[in-house]
Amino acid sequence: MNVGQPASAPKLPWRLISGNHACALGAVAAGCRFFAGYPITPSSEIAERLSRLLPLVDGVFVQMEDEIASIAAVIGASMGGVKALTATSGPGFSLKQENIGYAAGAEIPCVIVNVMRGGPSTGMPTRPAQGEIMQSRWGSHGDYPIIVLAPASVREIHDENMRAFDLAEPLRTPVVILYDQDIAQRTETVELGDANGVARAQRKWASGPPAAYQPYATGEDGIPAMSRPGAGYRVHTTGLNHAENGFPTQSPQAVERNLGRLLTKFERHRDLIDSWQTLGCDDAEVLIVAIGISARAALRALEICRARSLRAGLFRPITLWPFPENALREAASQANAVLVPEMNAGQLSLEVGRILGGKRVEAIHRFNGEPITPAEIAQRVETLAREMNQ
Amino acid sequence: MRGSRLEIRIGGTGGQGLILCAKMLADALCATGKRVAQSQTYEPTSRGGFCNSDLVVSDDEVDFPLATALDCLVLLDRLAVKPSWPLLKPGALVIADTRLCPELPEGELRVHPLPLSRTAIELGSERVANMVALGALAALAAVCTRDAIERAVRAETPKAFSS
Repeated sequence: MNVGQPASAPKLPWRLISGNHACALGAVAAGCRFFAGYPITPSSEIAERLSRLLPLVDGVFVQMEDEIASIAAVIGASMGGVKALTATSGPGFSLKQENIGYAAGAEIPCVIVNVMRGGPSTGMPTRPAQGEIMQSRWGSHGDYPIIVLAPASVREIHDENMRAFDLAEPLRTPVVILYDQDIAQRTETVELGDANGVARAQRKWASGPPAAYQPYATGEDGIPAMSRPGAGYRVHTTGLNHAENGFPTQSPQAVERNLGRLLTKFERHRDLIDSWQTLGCDDAEVLIVAIGISARAALRALEICRARSLRAGLFRPITLWPFPENALREAASQANAVLVPEMNAGQLSLEVGRILGGKRVEAIHRFNGEPITPAEIAQRVETLAREMNQ
Repeated sequence: MRGSRLEIRIGGTGGQGLILCAKMLADALCATGKRVAQSQTYEPTSRGGFCNSDLVVSDDEVDFPLATALDCLVLLDRLAVKPSWPLLKPGALVIADTRLCPELPEGELRVHPLPLSRTAIELGSERVANMVALGALAALAAVCTRDAIERAVRAETPKAFSS
């Protein structure tokens, strides 16, 4: 497929594509064969691209009547055994929350892209924001586990979308991919690896005698095996709290056993899940923690700081939830102060402050639609370094 | 590679084809081996409102992909002057449409007022002002070869018009 590059262009190792285009290519490369969505700025290009790409690989593209129906269709497709994706933004992400909780509770693998734009409500549809850092983790009701990935470049959107399916399928969980409007709609020259022939992580399918099958039996790794539709296993799936047999229960012991397993099921898979980037942390006096376009600004800010002989480092969570806590603690071990630039009124800084209890954590908050600049971050690092050395 | 960073903005109003213009230039630069990051700012309307598309061009991967200090600015509407002027580097190239953006603030700049939209009207449609601007930019900024730009324009042009 050569979508997005002029046909007459000479062969180069890289191509010029947008973040949303990369998202669509990553999904197809990961084996996604079902997309249901409802267009919303600034995520619509994902649907637009997949409407052309999926038919080429015998996949299904459906434009549904709204966002709720879209996530419901995705959950249904996944229960049918297909890797499935939906993509949305802001208000659409809010609408999907109930069913994201359903997918988490019933352990249905699926991937949800949320492109962050200005909020609240309809907000600023064409401007970037990072206002769903907390909603992506806590947006549905009750206690539930979820994985959230936060790519910061066009290339990383492609790769993290592939990794999203490699986590969602074997761990039986919804995975959210969270990035801002700026990276979604910008185009960058990217080198995309060849995913052909790369083995992708698979869902664990039931294989024993059907009579003994329990749809939510605790497997050796805490992940129950799913039954392939039509394979002869009896299954009951519900949003109600359920026992190992899949049927509703309010037995405190059964709920504690099954919900307890659900809430801790990521713990022994953190080596698969956790992902982060560190730069210059070894001797950093001031550690910057950022995601998305704010992390891109921080990258440039590091250069400015170095030129001014300021010792600054960057910790960038790529897996945002569960937060790579231990890696952050290690990266911050030498730092006297931590700076969190983020395009909201204070979300990532809350989590960083919680993890690094006792350390000085400051933030640059921006919610006017204008990305935080490298110069602003460098200036704040300089001020912090000066204050800490007084 | 900080030294090689070049920043270009094409500014005007929504509906002028600014993003398409920037995309063609980005395609041309990409085809000549440059690394490019192209961003866009627009309002949630299909016509009107401040709109711009920025290119950051580099020999290496672009770290911060947004414009911070413009080397070149193309103005197709007066709306784009105010938000863009503070970003101009000293000595930057400014190409301004004489009809739609007749007045410019002072500055140590290389200013070229050109009849971009009037040329487009004379060619038969004001809608191609973006392509006239692209031609002017290619000639004055010398950011990439004429051949590469022409190929990028042809690749994006419907067959009926590109022969």
